[in-house]
Amino acid sequence: MALLDVRGITKRFGALKAVDGVTFQVSPGQICGFIGPNGAGKTTTMRVCSTLELPDEGDVLIDGLSVLGEPREARKRIGFMPDSYGAYANTTIHEYLDFFARAYGLQGAARRTTLARVIEFTSLGDLTEKYIDALSKGMKQRLCLAKTLLHDPPVMILDEPAAGLDPRARVELRELVKALAQLGKAILVSSHILTELSEMCSSVVVIERGQLKGGGTVADVVRSVNRATTLFLRALAGAEACERRLLETPHVLNVRREHEGVVFEFDGDLNAQAELFAQLAASGLQPVELALRDTNLEDIFLSLTEGKLQ
Amino acid sequence: MNAVAARSLDDRLNPILVKEVRQALRGRYFRALFWLTLGVATLVGLSIVANSVRSPGAQVLGREFFMVMFGCLSAAVHAFTPFSAFLSTSAEWDENTHDLLVLSNLRPRQIVYGKLCSALVQALLYYSTFGPFLVFAFLLNGVDLAALGAILFVSMASCASLTLLGVALASLSAAKAPRVVLMALFGIGLVMFWGMSLGMSSGVVYSPQMLREPEALVMLAGTVVSILLAGAFFAAIAVARLSHEEENRSSGLRVLSVAIVISALAFGAWMSWGHSAPDFAWGLQVAALFPLAVAWLFFLTEPEPLGRHVRLHVSRNPLLAALSAPFLPGGGRGALLMLLHMLLAAFGALACMAFGPVDPVRRSAAFFGLLGVYAYAWIYMGIPAGAASFFVRSLRGRVVTRMGIVFLLPVVMLGPLLVGLVLGISGLSDPLHPFNPATALGALMDSREMTKLVELALAALTLLSLALNAPRMIQGVREVLAASAERRAKPVERS
Ligand SMILES: Nc1ncnc2c1ncn2[C@@H]1O[C@H](COP(=O)(O)OP(=O)(O)OP(=O)(O)O)[C@@H](O)[C@H]1O
Ligand SMILES: [Mg+2]
Repeated sequence: MALLDVRGITKRFGALKAVDGVTFQVSPGQICGFIGPNGAGKTTTMRVCSTLELPDEGDVLIDGLSVLGEPREARKRIGFMPDSYGAYANTTIHEYLDFFARAYGLQGAARRTTLARVIEFTSLGDLTEKYIDALSKGMKQRLCLAKTLLHDPPVMILDEPAAGLDPRARVELRELVKALAQLGKAILVSSHILTELSEMCSSVVVIERGQLKGGGTVADVVRSVNRATTLFLRALAGAEACERRLLETPHVLNVRREHEGVVFEFDGDLNAQAELFAQLAASGLQPVELALRDTNLEDIFLSLTEGKLQ
Repeated sequence: MNAVAARSLDDRLNPILVKEVRQALRGRYFRALFWLTLGVATLVGLSIVANSVRSPGAQVLGREFFMVMFGCLSAAVHAFTPFSAFLSTSAEWDENTHDLLVLSNLRPRQIVYGKLCSALVQALLYYSTFGPFLVFAFLLNGVDLAALGAILFVSMASCASLTLLGVALASLSAAKAPRVVLMALFGIGLVMFWGMSLGMSSGVVYSPQMLREPEALVMLAGTVVSILLAGAFFAAIAVARLSHEEENRSSGLRVLSVAIVISALAFGAWMSWGHSAPDFAWGLQVAALFPLAVAWLFFLTEPEPLGRHVRLHVSRNPLLAALSAPFLPGGGRGALLMLLHMLLAAFGALACMAFGPVDPVRRSAAFFGLLGVYAYAWIYMGIPAGAASFFVRSLRGRVVTRMGIVFLLPVVMLGPLLVGLVLGISGLSDPLHPFNPATALGALMDSREMTKLVELALAALTLLSLALNAPRMIQGVREVLAASAERRAKPVERS
């Protein structure tokens, strides 16, 4: 069963439909990327999932609990990391985490061990006595993640966690998120840094102007966007021979030379693709490399969205 | 053993309290003001003592010394502390931490309670610092122990209520600009309160025989109870505002508003039967109108439809659902609640006075006078709110309607007066012109007959207001019954 089950939610702000009938699921252990241009409704969707806004229509089930009917129970199972979050003045990292641990109702030894656990997990150990105001962006991001993990929620909703981080911090964040998914959590993560998402997500959901534009595993979405798969072929027979041969093959489009091989698009189904591979192997071309050219999320993003702002 | 007890106490403390006390004691605001107050108190106190060596007069010395110390203490607990509660609540919006508090499942009342407690901890620090000075003032002679006790008692209650007012004001708006305005107003109000508290306490200190009068204890109890009730009212506002936007923000306040009417009735009954002062019965109902009017302003202008979240919690039992209707959010149901208040207040006051030593003419004058004051509320709030009920769905519509009603009152009270003065119409140039609600009150107080025409107009306009609001009142109950039926139709969900 999906831990996060978004069922046709709609959210209006006055006349504006910020989210319009969005439906998707995230299962345990899955990292789902949530992409869309500015103002697409990502933050609004995430806030609805986290009970911070109630949907005008539809519902969200968190581990089977409705955010409408049982928001307090649902909240115990959600870890939401907002895109902008608060820091209290005159408070150290330890005090900040201690405050939220108390707010989550953790008591005595349980609170102390939990604090130690999240501080270790996010490598904040040496900084616990630092004041929050004095932290760098990356440190704050870790602190916020630590805060989100305090009550060990099975569903995690991260709104642009990588924004403003340097490359090293981003890699570290990615590893942390992957580790969390391995613990069986369902994770929804939005980001503008698409390469970031494509490296860690098992599935993606694309949204534009409040409406779902596509979703599924990365491969599914790639296939749905590019009816044609992009392939790269290199053979001992040479680029020219490859080109000639391919131009006679059905379903092949846009053949062009690149490095010592050819890049071409193929718009047949999987059976046709298998047949093509067999034919190429049987032909006298002596292929040494036949590879799928990665369509990354950047391409999906650009081809699914129209770039219109709302 | 002790360590275990301390740990379990530590676990039970309100998280907000722990956080706020840490923040406050570390922050510049508290430290600077603490030393400032203490410094000023010491300096002025010393100079008074030094002066008195030249012109002895022990009685005056003790009182003067007390007033200086209390002045500093009062500034701290009635101005600085409530203001810091305002700032800390305000910061929850500015720093986006309010969402984090909601996510952490802290209940709004825990947040308000934590803010109150941390303010009280700060106040306690001030009280214990100034304690020795106050004892010293007592030893200097001239300050009555009863007076000292009464002043401190009232000042502590006021500190709590002002803190809650600060939290309530800061929670009114998540947007920054209105909060800055509120902050300025609150600051001015606190300074005024400080002056008032100095005036009142010097009255008590310089004429302590006041406290020996038979009514003194009742008055003192009445004062403290009304201060605390006001505090509870502010707390309910803050809890409502800090609740989640779509959640039911209204019911708590609605229940409390009825509690205000009932406690005023109880106090009135006690005064009427126990102390032969039947006028309290209606006088307190008139006083209760001030907080009630503030509450009605919001209740009457709430958007009509029940929120999805509230619908899921309407009672399955149709009778209970119908009875709960006036307490659920929505403008029509707000009008229903106002009707309930009116009937409760008028008939309750009548019942309280029925057994007191009061002649029947005065009794019926009080009854109709009270209805008369309510009639003004129906006219000035019920008519515009009823007319604007389609307009209040959007936030902007609500703000405009509420502001409109707030500005209507001074216009109808002062406008005719100005017109009357300029045009020389004698009926209007009297401040008690027929557009002024105090007219009904005036008629009530001196059992004066209002002119028949005004009475008729009042009755007609009240009926108009009721007629204007009737459709949404009926619709309001219907909607609750429909929600109840909807819940009955669905199978019981797992708990
Ligand atoms: N509280 C609000 N009141 C009114 N409109 C809002 C509110 N919150 C969001 N919106 C509008 O809803 C739309 C969706 O906003 P949202 O913040 O969900 O987008 P987003 O996908 O998170 O964008 P970004 O990538 O810039 O963070 C926008 O047009 C925004 O202006
Ligand atoms: Mg966003």
